[in-house]
Amino acid sequence: MHQIYYIESNQLETLFQKLKKSYKVFSPVAKGPNYTAKADYSYKGLAEGESPVFNPYRAVEPLKSFFTYAQDQAAEYFNRDEPVLDSMQVIVFGVKSCDIAGHKVQDFVFLEGVEVDSLYRLRRDNTILISGDCTDFKDVCHCLAWDILPHPTEGFDLNFSPLNDGYLVEVGSKKGEGLIQQYQEYFTPAKETQIAGRRVKRENLIERLKRHLLPQKLVSKDSVQRLMREGYNLDTWQQFMLTCVECGGCNLICNTCHCFLLADKKEGNINKKVKVWDSCQYANFTRVAGGANPLKTRTQRLRNRFLKKFDFFVDNLGMPACCGCGRCIEVCPGKIDIREVLKDVAKKLSASK
Amino acid sequence: MKNIYRPIEAVLEDIITESPTIKTFVLRPKEPFEFRTGQFIELTLPGVGEAPFTPSSDPNLKDKIDVTIMNVGEVTALLHSSAKNISLGIRGPYGKGYPLDKFEGKDILIVGGGVGLAPLRSLLFSLFADIDKYNKVVLRYGARTANDIIYKEAIPHWAKKKKVDLVTTVDMGSPEWKGNVGLVTTILKDLPLDLKKAICVVCGPPIMMKFVTLKLLDLGFNPKDIYLSMEKNMSCGLGKCGHCRIGSYYICKDGPVFTYEQLKDLYDIWD
Ligand SMILES: Cc1cc2nc3c(=O)[nH]c(=O)nc-3n(C[C@H](O)[C@H](O)[C@H](O)COP(=O)(O)OP(=O)(O)OC[C@H]3O[C@@H](n4cnc5c(N)ncnc54)[C@H](O)[C@@H]3O)c2cc1C
Ligand code: SF4
Ligand code: SF4
Ligand code: FES
Repeated sequence: MHQIYYIESNQLETLFQKLKKSYKVFSPVAKGPNYTAKADYSYKGLAEGESPVFNPYRAVEPLKSFFTYAQDQAAEYFNRDEPVLDSMQVIVFGVKSCDIAGHKVQDFVFLEGVEVDSLYRLRRDNTILISGDCTDFKDVCHCLAWDILPHPTEGFDLNFSPLNDGYLVEVGSKKGEGLIQQYQEYFTPAKETQIAGRRVKRENLIERLKRHLLPQKLVSKDSVQRLMREGYNLDTWQQFMLTCVECGGCNLICNTCHCFLLADKKEGNINKKVKVWDSCQYANFTRVAGGANPLKTRTQRLRNRFLKKFDFFVDNLGMPACCGCGRCIEVCPGKIDIREVLKDVAKKLSASK
Repeated sequence: MKNIYRPIEAVLEDIITESPTIKTFVLRPKEPFEFRTGQFIELTLPGVGEAPFTPSSDPNLKDKIDVTIMNVGEVTALLHSSAKNISLGIRGPYGKGYPLDKFEGKDILIVGGGVGLAPLRSLLFSLFADIDKYNKVVLRYGARTANDIIYKEAIPHWAKKKKVDLVTTVDMGSPEWKGNVGLVTTILKDLPLDLKKAICVVCGPPIMMKFVTLKLLDLGFNPKDIYLSMEKNMSCGLGKCGHCRIGSYYICKDGPVFTYEQLKDLYDIWD
């Protein structure tokens, strides 16, 4: 069991003013005044005097955007004076459980395997993740379908759960513990009754989310790999491709998608390698010289996205590369809904049995 | 910590014309750089772009690397029009390469097509260096026309080496060509091999690899004994950029050499 503390809201205000002196602090802020529908939250670097907002659900931007940028300088070369890798100390406040769970994919890709991506490593080391329980959800949220709870249980440095006039603060790592030690005057050990209060709030939200998801009859985590393998030749891919405009939004906004392209450019006398996010929905993603392209059609490319998420990653990481955040559903101008695609495969397979 | 995306500098020391579309580039890296046969590098044309190639030189030569490159697109075209003594960048080596230890004591059939002979040249050098370890080397090579054959001067020398049996063919004959005419599969008959202890290494365009593989299976080769060099669009070479996925593999880090056994149940491997 992790250490749990309590902090009052006004104390948190003061703490953040202090933290802002040593860290660049990012927190979600509501996007625009929105009284009728649920607001969207977007990360913002907090300025002097600004306080963090506790967001009820995930932000628009995926967590990956703090570790790999849409466009990044990967290296300078043949340059003796290449600047040493540098990265600021960052605190990201208001990360949600889906992002924490999905981020395992990014860590797997950039920190493990043949070699480590040193810039990613540096940014990871210099970032403190302060997550928070979800107190509400978006229509598209479906973390529970992948056995991810709407509050994180691991992978965070500190986790905040709003309770009465303050927050329960759970320590998830040495970094988190260090922060508590450094600012111990703001924290008191949590009482049993407070922890019980957190449990009730968590259970209530899970119940609400279940009631939201149950009628949707989503496919289960254990079935997706089989669906991909047996559903390879179904017309699902063709059908759902029809409205795809190849914008790549689903990949770019996805917290688990990691593909990128290395490009070269010259600035003055300096040669640079640039790393840009890429999308397997783009027509040229796998094109090779002479024009051959294993993912020629949109049908193949749409299927590729699912195979990568639900077959490749299940084999290589032991989990599907989807955390149910629903960002791809919101972003898609063609209204392609990942949940519906999976359900369609399941339906057609069971009908053919 | 090392930056995995930064290439090291290599001087382009020589350029050898092999055929109208293929040249061999001789590189002298400024930092130590070693590779095993079958591994590949990412070659950077500074400020322009990068592309994957398999060195064609002897891995035992430590201070220079040859890459034999076909002119097919942006980077390769610019390389072909480059002059000597410019600096190029190299990253790598990447991938697993050929498992030479598994080839020991065996009859080794090597089937190459077009520029696919390039990686096989580095394999041949490795085999020649330790030829006592292997039973025999049977090389079958096909090019489009006599003009498209690469390593024209070396081939007759290889053919005379001990334990080597070499036949070349061209798809389209010409008056000066005295050898075989026909696709490479046509010279896979009556092979001087003991199938029970033979392995085969294939490298060439996907369509050629497909038909050679089918032929080999027909001849009775075990899928475990057929080694294929797969080619997919690549960017990082390290299993990170995601371009080269096929089934549960990234070609760059799990290959580029695979046995047919590893690939046979995957969809669309020849595309
Ligand atoms: C492991 C491996 C080893 C190779 N070894 C050789 C070799 O020894 N000799 C040789 O002539 N060719 C080899 N190729 C093919 C060579 O990589 C392509 O011909 C080259 O990438 C074309 O680049 P381009 O910029 O001229 O072409 P463009 O068509 O302008 O390509 C632009 C980009 O697309 C990608 N791309 C295009 N074609 C290929 C391709 N066939 N394979 C992978 N990525 C591609 C590259 O990222 C390239 O930078 C190899 C390919 C792989 C994957
Ligand atoms: S998907 Fe789940 S964890 Fe993520 S924001 Fe929605 S409710 Fe919270
Ligand atoms: S696939 Fe869609 S729902 Fe799943 S993690 Fe990516 S953006 Fe979220
Ligand atoms: S080339 Fe980047 S993953 Fe294989």
